[in-house]
Amino acid sequence: MFLTRLTSSPDFYTLLYLAVGLLLAFNLLEIVFLLVHKRRIERTEERKETLKRRILTAAVTVTAPSEVLPKPLTDDDYEAYGEATSSIIESFEGEITERAAGLIHDFGIDLYYKRLSGHRVWYKRAHAIDILSSLKLERSREFFFAAFEKETSNTVKYRILYGLSLLVQGSEDIRAISRMLSTLPYLTAKYTEDVFINIVTVIKNSGREDEFGAFLKEIMTDAGVHTKVKRDCLSACRAAACERAGPIVREYYKTFQAEPEIIIACIKTLVAMGDFSILPDVLRHKDWRVRLTALKYAHLSNSDIKHDPKTLLHDPKFHFAVLPGILRHKDWRMRLTDLKHAHLHSTGILRALQPLLHDPNYHIRLNAALALSKMGGRGLEMLWAEADSPDKFAADAAKYALDSAGDAA
Amino acid sequence: MAKILVVDDDDTIILVFRTHLTKAGYTVETAVDGVDAFAKIPAFKPDLILLDINMPKMSGFELAKRLKESPETKNIPIFIMTSLKQEANIKKGYDLGIEEYLTKPTNVAHLLLRVNKFFEKSRSC
Repeated sequence: MFLTRLTSSPDFYTLLYLAVGLLLAFNLLEIVFLLVHKRRIERTEERKETLKRRILTAAVTVTAPSEVLPKPLTDDDYEAYGEATSSIIESFEGEITERAAGLIHDFGIDLYYKRLSGHRVWYKRAHAIDILSSLKLERSREFFFAAFEKETSNTVKYRILYGLSLLVQGSEDIRAISRMLSTLPYLTAKYTEDVFINIVTVIKNSGREDEFGAFLKEIMTDAGVHTKVKRDCLSACRAAACERAGPIVREYYKTFQAEPEIIIACIKTLVAMGDFSILPDVLRHKDWRVRLTALKYAHLSNSDIKHDPKTLLHDPKFHFAVLPGILRHKDWRMRLTDLKHAHLHSTGILRALQPLLHDPNYHIRLNAALALSKMGGRGLEMLWAEADSPDKFAADAAKYALDSAGDAA
Repeated sequence: MAKILVVDDDDTIILVFRTHLTKAGYTVETAVDGVDAFAKIPAFKPDLILLDINMPKMSGFELAKRLKESPETKNIPIFIMTSLKQEANIKKGYDLGIEEYLTKPTNVAHLLLRVNKFFEKSRSC
């Protein structure tokens, strides 16, 4: 009804032109606004980059950079100072980091980020915490503890704990971080491991490595600490080479026989410390993942366990027994995974490996050739035969494996 | 004068290395990733490459692999400079045939000493 009246109105076309004109004007204004805004952002970024370069040059070339640099006035200035100084502290050590620390102190860069960490928007708080973490200032330690108590977002809390892990001063701090970590949902193995790697690195640098061993012992029987966290602590021990914790890791191995993940972490950590004493035992562990992990290190050990890998080949529950079947699996990732262990299998597997040299997947061809080369004898003979194959891809894989075997020899 | 190619996607590293190495008398060229470095190597012909691992487009490992596979570039010494401290990465680097695997944070004074010693040793060989 309304539409009929509108279209039959004598002013219809006038109104239509007016509406189209208004829309056009609005769109034009919008485009102009976006272009102006883009230019403004670009100019701000350019200005920030120029200032950042100036700060970096001053930090590299001048003994007291704060005497030649302008005092930061705007948020962008502080951002430039924060990014430049944190980048120096993260990548370098020595004199240049002392100059960056001087700049932070003289211009109150950390104070700015401490203020920003109280912002109502969580990602601004997270950004402020990230920069404060990378500045690694001892005076931020107390601030981080207080910020964790006040913080409402878990995302920001994870970052605060990461920052704190770079500033630990002793066993009390390690315990506090562990307690704070247990109040949050488990994030990822990588995150927890990184936090503990930072802790081990910091306390190792301050000559208090034993304190991490003591902490590991404390949490071993603490039911309040999740098994995954215990596993990540052991992994951190390996990654940060906390060698004094070796005896405690062996205690973990004895205590957590029913926890394959802990046992696997213990194997990796002890092997990294040069301790192969648990290998004979773990090669007979009931969980195949534990046996597989141990097998990867078996060749590094002394000869008295050399019979164990061979025994495993006849283990009906062990996956080597089904290896020839998996080598023909329709998913190339399955074929690839087992190819990596194929050379440990008996020579009966040669027949299963040979067709894989013609597999359409590059990784499969390459790993099949490498497995054959590691088997020596008939494996190498097969590779020599394939090196002249009319299948160019198979021939390339065979030649590559033969070259590698030659280099290794 | 020895020529050094610094390959890193971090402006700070490039600026600091360029300043210090130039001051120490080396001719320095920089590249922001593996692809950029690969393009600059034939013309610049570096005597040493300082290489980061985590970079966009082409990683340091990939670049090192390509350089060590090519007969023209396989003899260019490579120092890897990275924050990756895991044993597997260190092994991978040495397996590729690199000369040194150095982890960040870098002490510039120590790095300069290593670079100087490396060139002294190569000259005496």
